[in-house]
Amino acid sequence: MIEFSDVGLRYGNGPEILRDLTFSIEPGSFHFLTGPSGAGKTSLLRLLLLSLKPSRGRVTMFGEDVSDLSQDRLLQMRRHIGIVFQEFRLLDHLTTFENVALPLRVLGQPESEYRPNVTELLEWVGLGERMNALPSLLSGGEKQRAAIARAVIARPKVLLADEPTGNVDPDLSSRLVHLFAELNRTLGMTIILATHELPLLDQFSYPRMLLSRGELVIHD
Amino acid sequence: MIEQLKSFLPRRGGGAQIVPERSVAGRTLLLMITIMSFLSAVTLGGVVLVQKSAIAWSSDVGREVTIQIRPVEGEVMESNLRTAVALAEATPGVAAAHALTLAESEKLLEPWLGAGLDLTAIEVPRLVIVQLADPTDADIEGLTRNLGAIKGASLDTHAAWRQQLNTMAGAVVISGLMVLTLIGIATVLAIVFATRGAMASNREIVDVLHYIGASNKFIAGEFQGRFLSIGLQGGLLGALAAVLFFALVGMAAGNVLSGEASAQVGVLFGRFALGIDGILGIAAVVPVIAALTAITSRTTTQRFLAETS
Repeated sequence: MIEFSDVGLRYGNGPEILRDLTFSIEPGSFHFLTGPSGAGKTSLLRLLLLSLKPSRGRVTMFGEDVSDLSQDRLLQMRRHIGIVFQEFRLLDHLTTFENVALPLRVLGQPESEYRPNVTELLEWVGLGERMNALPSLLSGGEKQRAAIARAVIARPKVLLADEPTGNVDPDLSSRLVHLFAELNRTLGMTIILATHELPLLDQFSYPRMLLSRGELVIHD
Repeated sequence: MIEQLKSFLPRRGGGAQIVPERSVAGRTLLLMITIMSFLSAVTLGGVVLVQKSAIAWSSDVGREVTIQIRPVEGEVMESNLRTAVALAEATPGVAAAHALTLAESEKLLEPWLGAGLDLTAIEVPRLVIVQLADPTDADIEGLTRNLGAIKGASLDTHAAWRQQLNTMAGAVVISGLMVLTLIGIATVLAIVFATRGAMASNREIVDVLHYIGASNKFIAGEFQGRFLSIGLQGGLLGALAAVLFFALVGMAAGNVLSGEASAQVGVLFGRFALGIDGILGIAAVVPVIAALTAITSRTTTQRFLAETS
């Protein structure tokens, strides 16, 4: 599904942030992406999100080389990728329901069509009672669950998560990773979850990708 | 009413507005567009008033020609006047002709020579007023030719006056159009700056929309919706203010001048009544300003997104 071959990334004329990355991700798999701060986790996620192009090497996603894609094709491929951020990035003026429904609105679906799906998903992530609340009234855990729901509502093939547990307590972190695991198990979604919380990784047996100084030192 | 109008604006999927209302520098831009619409509508109304007066004046003057008979030694003025009237009445396209009496001539000269003038003591040219049934069909050339038989007779078609009037009216219309163009350019520039400012202050929303797979076209459409709404409100307020302005100026002109003076000013410069065409012209400012706002913001947004993507 995703293949990196000798991929390097630099910003402008700066040094290489990522070097010689070669790995493949199978459909339906779950990977932890870990490493110390500044190791290049976010840059790698941005490559996977197709918001950056590699400086060298070859990236293949869904069977296509992404280096020469047109803007339209890039947009279509990006719609197969969901993203969850550490800082949630919910739109403050929209309710939980409206935030989660956003990807479907972008796809042009009318509210009558998406309302049942969004409601069902919100109930599934435990936000059924908070559908009409603005993000400012949600707790950290609720915000992150809303962000996860928004990332998966359009049924992407790949779900990327950049430090999704960074702003919640350890107990909630574990529950959030269980939620990702559930999505992976029930929907068959490929998940790459970036975190630097090693105790959290130890609770799960998923393969790890360890980045250090821009290089992939472990990929089990 | 504005809220009702806004409800007709297109919304994707019927959900809440993705670009929040308050974030688009709404009040300042609304005020600016209202002022621009008001200036556009007043300019347009002024042009309509001038043009209508010029057309009416030109039409009135064009329906009349004047035969002037200068005193010539050995010629009998009264006889020449009768001949001129007869020649004029026999000309195709002429509705009526009459010679001004001495008393009427005295009244015409009164503003310059004072009251109590006795024209019998002075030899002054006499006039024959010729009313045309249809200025386009009247045989003016034939009449000029025939008047050659009367010594001292000449025909004044007021062509020079009409030409000057039309030139003046044309200049006013062109000036008005130039002012409208400048207002349009100023409006576009203000919207460009406001849109770029709105895009920069809503960068977070733009980024999130990009991450969830929104196209630049979709994002531009969302911003365009907000600006269309502001443009529509500003255009409507400006146009209403302009209609009110013309109504107040018309009332003030009627009250300040006496009845007779008001009538004379009305004949010379036209009334401050816009008429249905003037009102329609001002009403047209509303959709034009709204469309200008929407198109400008969409183009600016797409350019901004293309630059930053």
